[in-house]
Amino acid sequence: MKWFKSESAAAWYFMLPGLLLISIFVFWPIIYGIPLSFTNYSVISETHNVGFANFAEAFRDRDFIISLLNSLTYVIVVPFIQIASILLAILVNRRLPGVKLFRTAYYIPVVTSMVAVALIWSWLLGNNGVVNYLLMKGGLISEQVSWLSDSRTALYVLMFITMWKGLGYYMMLYLAGLQGIPSDLYEAAKVDGAGSLRLIWSITIPLLRPHILFCSLISLMGAIRVFDEVYILTKGGPGTATLTSSLYIFQKGLEQFNFGYASALGLIVSVIIGALSIGVFVFNRKGGVNPY
Amino acid sequence: MEATHGMNRTVKVIRYIIIYLLLIAFALFMMGPFLWLLSVSLMPGKNVFSTPPAIFPTFIAFDNYTNVWKFMNFPKYIGNTVIITLLGVVTNIFFSSLTAYPLACFRFRGRNLVFGLLISTMIIPSSTAMIVHYLTIQAFHLSNSFIGVVLPAAVSVFNIFLMRQTFMGIPSDMRDSGKIDGASEFRIFWQIIMPLVKPGIAVIALLEVMAFWNNFLWPIVVLDDPSKYPLAAALTYLNGQFSYNFGWIAAGTMISVLPIIIIFLFTQRYYMEGISGAIKG
Repeated sequence: MKWFKSESAAAWYFMLPGLLLISIFVFWPIIYGIPLSFTNYSVISETHNVGFANFAEAFRDRDFIISLLNSLTYVIVVPFIQIASILLAILVNRRLPGVKLFRTAYYIPVVTSMVAVALIWSWLLGNNGVVNYLLMKGGLISEQVSWLSDSRTALYVLMFITMWKGLGYYMMLYLAGLQGIPSDLYEAAKVDGAGSLRLIWSITIPLLRPHILFCSLISLMGAIRVFDEVYILTKGGPGTATLTSSLYIFQKGLEQFNFGYASALGLIVSVIIGALSIGVFVFNRKGGVNPY
Repeated sequence: MEATHGMNRTVKVIRYIIIYLLLIAFALFMMGPFLWLLSVSLMPGKNVFSTPPAIFPTFIAFDNYTNVWKFMNFPKYIGNTVIITLLGVVTNIFFSSLTAYPLACFRFRGRNLVFGLLISTMIIPSSTAMIVHYLTIQAFHLSNSFIGVVLPAAVSVFNIFLMRQTFMGIPSDMRDSGKIDGASEFRIFWQIIMPLVKPGIAVIALLEVMAFWNNFLWPIVVLDDPSKYPLAAALTYLNGQFSYNFGWIAAGTMISVLPIIIIFLFTQRYYMEGISGAIKG
């Protein structure tokens, strides 16, 4: 029984509580979601195995298909986030008096709760709200737009809010990347007569590649799983215009307590997310953003 | 290329002006909505949808704050939020340090296996975790309790990696010298190692304060009794109840947002370290 006093044993003693929690709340949901998908587990009926019935139903479920398409449409926000936050990072990556203050200001939306952010924007974007007022004053629109209750604009407005709240976060990640680029590279290119756009395109972007990959991946995951904004602001409406798959799964699982069906939907979405993230990875590997 | 030195200088000045204009314009875009909320909260009885909209405060009064404070029983909700946040921060520090320590400093069979399993969870997406969490919490009879709110997020793989990174920066002779003195592994950990990883602990504490303070969905799912809600959850509730008492809602939202902004302003250096640690991990 020497093992119980060995270093190996000590290691396991240390890890036991943490690994137990990880097993219950990280591993178990991944594993248990699979068998659950093949049952009709809910609060209304007795649970039994239903084979692939949930999956068959999912592909006939119009709302689910719409929610998937909406979630995929939401991915449009990913490149916009990258472009805006890289430009923003370039803007704040200089030694100027007060620049740190600006970085902090840009970061505030990241640390505040989505509940607060959503509330502010729902007021700003109301029919008689500030946004319509300013846009009409500026002559950009001729009549009030119901930003969040018009099915043509609602999803894009949500994307805008996602982007607005996340910009500071991605800016900081890219800033860390920019600060790792040796400045003599720029000096050398300047000597060769390269302009600033040329510098960004030929030096900054290629050297930021690992950061672009990382940020694209996490914003992709975030976009497909978008929930908080939608749940607070539109609840999927008007109609199904902003019904995203996470919201639909939540409604099926935790509002209608149809656990089996919701798990099946979750499994389908997980497979899609997995495939997409592999896609992003391969795209970047092959040099999708590399100008050469 | 510019011809004269004088012109070079003008170009430079113009460049600076443009840069500062851009910086300020963007600051307005990011901070403007918050300043506007502040302005609404300071004008009792003002309608946010009036034409022309009230953008700048024309008068200042704190009635909204005193009224919403009394009406909403804010001390109760702030108390709930503080308890949930503290529980969340302490459990995360405790469990992630304990789990990360052997992964960073011990040699034992199965270390790579544990590490690999942990990494795999970061790649495999789980879209239904919340449903299974709900069933688990029900099975443990923890629904409608703060423990039930905190437990599913009491430790995270990300935090374990963050602590492991921190522990790996400690020279191994720290542990060896403790062993020579005959101290137990736990004593070495608690009295020698933990004091050395305070920066890592600070980062986790900050990230978790933000996460737990702002979390609204899971508390709503777990807690049946709205009087147990934390602030963020209570606010969605407040929003539905008096959707046209703008000043109150604005004041309530300001009260919930300010503590986090203040904490962030004073600790941003640590916070940013944690964020950029995400890339390395």
